[in-house]
Formats: sequence, C-alpha cells, structure tokens
Amino acid sequence: MRFLGADRMSSLPVAFLAGAVLVSVMALLQPVAQTVAAEPRELILASYSVPKEAYEKQIIPAFQRFWKQRTGQEVRIRSSYGASGAQARAIVGGFEADIAALSLEGDIEQIAKAGLVAHNWRSGPQRGIVTASLVAFGVRKGNPKNIQTWEDLARPGVEVLYPNPKTSGGAMWDIIAIYGAGLKLAEQRSAATKGSPDAYATDLLKRVQKNVKVMDKSGRESVTTFERGVGDVIVTYENELLPRIKSGRPYELVIPAETVLIENPVALVDRNVDKHRVRDLAEAFVTFLQGEEAQRAFREVGFRPVQPAAPGAQAAMLSPVPARLFTIGDLGGWTKVEGLLFGPQGAWTKAVEDLARGK
Amino acid sequence: MNARQLVSLALRSTAIGYVLVLILLPLLVIGQQSLVGGLGRFSEDIVQPQAAAALVLTLEAALAATAINAVFGTLSAVVLVRYEFPGRWFLNALVDLPFAIPTLVAGLMIAALYGATSPLGAWLQRGGIEVLYNVPGIVLAMVFVTMPFMIRSLQPVLMELERDQEEAAFTLGAGRWVTFWKVTIPSVLPGLLTGLFLTFVRALGEFGAIVIVAGNIPMKTQVAPVYVYGEIESYNPRGATSVSVLILLISFAALVLLERLTRPPGERLPAVISRWRRSRPEPVAVPPVLPALRG
Repeated sequence: MRFLGADRMSSLPVAFLAGAVLVSVMALLQPVAQTVAAEPRELILASYSVPKEAYEKQIIPAFQRFWKQRTGQEVRIRSSYGASGAQARAIVGGFEADIAALSLEGDIEQIAKAGLVAHNWRSGPQRGIVTASLVAFGVRKGNPKNIQTWEDLARPGVEVLYPNPKTSGGAMWDIIAIYGAGLKLAEQRSAATKGSPDAYATDLLKRVQKNVKVMDKSGRESVTTFERGVGDVIVTYENELLPRIKSGRPYELVIPAETVLIENPVALVDRNVDKHRVRDLAEAFVTFLQGEEAQRAFREVGFRPVQPAAPGAQAAMLSPVPARLFTIGDLGGWTKVEGLLFGPQGAWTKAVEDLARGK
Repeated sequence: MNARQLVSLALRSTAIGYVLVLILLPLLVIGQQSLVGGLGRFSEDIVQPQAAAALVLTLEAALAATAINAVFGTLSAVVLVRYEFPGRWFLNALVDLPFAIPTLVAGLMIAALYGATSPLGAWLQRGGIEVLYNVPGIVLAMVFVTMPFMIRSLQPVLMELERDQEEAAFTLGAGRWVTFWKVTIPSVLPGLLTGLFLTFVRALGEFGAIVIVAGNIPMKTQVAPVYVYGEIESYNPRGATSVSVLILLISFAALVLLERLTRPPGERLPAVISRWRRSRPEPVAVPPVLPALRG
C-alpha cells in the first residue's frame, strides 16, 4: 500500500490523460479497421506471406477491375497473409477462407484431408500451380568466399543460413534442393568413383547442416538474419532474393547448377466457397492468377512464370535456367520426400542427431 | 442464509470459477490430449532425441538464468530500496519494462545489441565470446524477461524489514556480510524464494525473445518451447502436447513447492524457513527484547 500514498493522488490526472489518449487512438483507428468489412460480394484469400506485395499492389486491384468490367459487380477481397502451414491449420480450424494460396502442396493436402477441398485441385492445365521459383544462394557483395556450388556450402568456415523445416515450407524446399543436388552430383561423379548416390546426398546434407548457424522460423526471418550480418550464404527462394537485390541490398544471387524447381499451389476451399456462394468468383480468381496479367505481377516480385505441363516449355522460363534443374516429382513426389528427409528416420533428422552426437 | 453470507458465497464462487475456467480447464484439456495415445506414447514423445535435447537445454538455461537473477536481482533490489541516489525513480521504473514490452521485441533488442554488426557484438566476437545464436544468448534472453520477478518480489519485503534488526546485529558485533547473510537474507527469504521460482518457471516457458536470439538449431540451441512450436507447425500436435505437458508439470511442481515453502507469514512458519532461522548463530540473533526497547 505504500505506493498508494496521498502524494500519489497527483498522478490521477495523468492517468486520465493517458486513458483519453488511448481512447482517441482507438477511435481514430476504428473506421480504418472497419472499412475492410461490409461489401456485397466478398472473397477471402488466405495466402502465405511471400507474394503479399504482388497480390496487394497489383493482382487484387487488377482482378477487381476485371470483374467489374465483366459483371458490373464490385468485389472486395479480404486477404490474410501468414506462414503457409499456419494458414492451412487456420483453415482446417475454421478460418473461412475461400481460396488457399500456399507455399507447399502438403499444406493444401492437409486442408483436403480435413474434407474442405472436395474437388481435384490438381486438375487444369497448370496442375493447381500459380507460381514457380528456384532454390538459390544469397551471398555477400562480391562473393568474398567464392560460393558457387553446394560443396562450397560444406566447406569449413562457411556459415550457412536456412530456416527450420519444421516451421518453414521454404526450408523444406532448401533441404530438398541440397539432397536432390547431392543425387545429381553423385550421378556425375559415379563414372569415376562408384558409390551410392543416396549415401553421397545424405553426407552432403549433413556437412551443409553442420555449417548452419541459425535456423529461423520462416524464410523471411532468415533473410532478416542474413541482412543483420549473420552468415556467409543464405539458402532460400530465388524470389525472396531478387526483389531485395533489385532494391539495392548489398548481396548477390548465385544459382547453383543443380537445384529444385519450386512450385506453389492454389486451391478453392470448396466448403467455404459453397457456404459463401462465391464459386463463380473464386474460380474466376484462380483462373485470373494463372493469366498473363497476374503472372506478370508475380514476375515483377521475383517469381518465375508457371510452367505449362507441355514439354519444351522450359524455354519459356526466365533465364538463367540451371543446368540440372529437377522437380519434386523427379525425387518421387512430396509424400515420399517428406518421409525420406523429414520423417523420424529421415536424412535431415538423422543428420541433426548425428551432428549433436559428434559423429 | 442472510445477505452477507450470500455475498460471500457469490464472491467465493466467482473467484473459484474464474481460476477454474481460465486456468484449470485449458490445463485439463491439454493434459487429456497428451494422454490420448497412452502413457507409452507420451514418454516416447519425450525421449525423442530432439525433444529430450531441447528439454535438457531449457532446464539448464533456466537454472543459469535463475542463478544470475538471484545474485544481481537481489543486489539491485537492495540498492533500489536502501540507497538514495539521483535517478533512482527512473531506474525503478525501468525495472518493469521487460514485463511491458513484447518479448519478441526484447529479442530484437538483444539481437541488435549483441549482433555481429554492433560494436559490442563485434568486440565480444573478437574476444571469442559468442552470445547471439548460442547458449549465452538464450540465458541472456531469459534473464531479461524474468528480471522484474526477482526485484519486485524482494522490494516489498526489504521495505518491511526493520532496519533496527540489522542495526542490532551490527551493535552485537556482526560485520556487514554476516549481517546480510544472517539477518537480511533470512528475513526476506519468502520474497527471495518467490522471485527465484517465478524466474525459473517463467524462463522455462519463454519463446518470443529466445526464438530471435538463439540459433534454434535442433539439439544444439533449440529450447523446448521452440521445439514445441516446430512440432505444431509440422503437423505433430501430439509430440508438441507431450513436451508442453512435461514443461507444465515441472512448472507446476515448482510452484507447489514454492507455495509450501512460503506459506503465509505468521504462526506456522514453513519448515525450511524456520530451520534457516534456527541455524543462525547465537551472537547474531536478534534479542527479542530489542523491539520492545524501541518504544
């Protein structure tokens, strides 16, 4: 009670003043917060965080114009951005998104498994994919440690950054890239030194993991850590690096000769679409995403255009195309790769455990 | 039943209901969830190499943080209560800041201060001391977010402590340190214990600050809450729940122990404290007549 002595009564006006300030700040923000709601036709988009800029600045306004022109209807798109896995969990848990644009097929699969995506979202010419990218390296300006290949990442004294695959879909892609590159490298070598490609890939993964300095929660955070001066090389999406380098950040992009093609899916959440009666709108939006205008917007923020399933379409990709580009399909598909690398006996899990035991 | 009894009943049931609904209910749910697969599954989740390593690291770091706060928190509390100096009010106001700022922001501040690009971080690195992305960073983050517990639990008891007891000890020939150890510390023991235990359990659960400053490398610099988050994110809610429940059990055991040790001041002194009191050597003990002399 000592603190509440009579002399403290003078602080009462201050408390009132603080309260008044708080109330007026809330009053000021209230109309801003409310403008999002209350529109006749509304679409809820749940996306992972990376393409936020493309959606907000270009694609959504363009779609609104397109829809108005076609039907005369105003459309409001409420968009939410967050980690891909968190978005998937939120949708399963009751977040009524009409469209899920996520970074991993596995996350869409989780929504499908919960019975919210009834149709075959992989149908259509683009197989449910809206954006593509590569796993690439970001290195310090001038590439002082001369990092060009995956083997360079395993050199002693090189500090590597990528996020934790448990929390980051991006990190799963990164580790898939290391492992897959290991297989490709082993194929090249096998002429001279015959050995199991799997063993070589596992060993490469372990040696790279040994040099990892920080494992952030997400790819974005990992880039922030890199920009804070930690690490010699960051393994991440090419589209994370490109726009930042363009805006003058002091690092460079290196695309290794062997790397994985990243494909990011989009799907209608059927149950919510039907509940909100917006199927026509949602389907038009997904088609729009694969159209020329949206693809240009994605390209501007660093993505590569989606690859039509047709052969020979690689030429349409932005250069440079790595010499030995592979896809998740080449490694046996998501389900197989998840178990192979991230399961309890997976190569990455084992690498981490072995390193901790000093093996 | 008269009106007064009714009011009292209403008050009691509100209090009990409040605690039950807000704390016990969620606890029961998570406890039940962790046991869906049976005890075997639970222990299996705990002994997963990455889970076990994260738990051990968390306990070690929390103990280290508690030890650091025990020493420096106690000193700070004594200084803040006992010494008049310019800017004391300001320092006193600063103490609560770690409670007020989001721990994520605390992590960012530590990262900025000790990072390789800051002068301090660079200097430490030249000296071969890696704070950030290493265990010291984890301990530092824990110390930061728990600092108010120690100081704020000690301050009131230090203020209550009659200075004349210490003065009596002086008069009876005890030195500064003897007085501190034999008179001051035992008198403030309940506050001290509260601070220590709260620091420890709070440090066990810290996530926001640590996730920024630790490297979060499994089995190396990944603490249990960060592990739990990873398991949630990778669709393993059961593994996450099991580890969470273990942290909960440890925290709860610590809090029950604290409750036993610091039972309300009064007649029945908890065993530990009365033992402390009894073990004080005679010459230093405060003669019971002294308070009467104050008159």
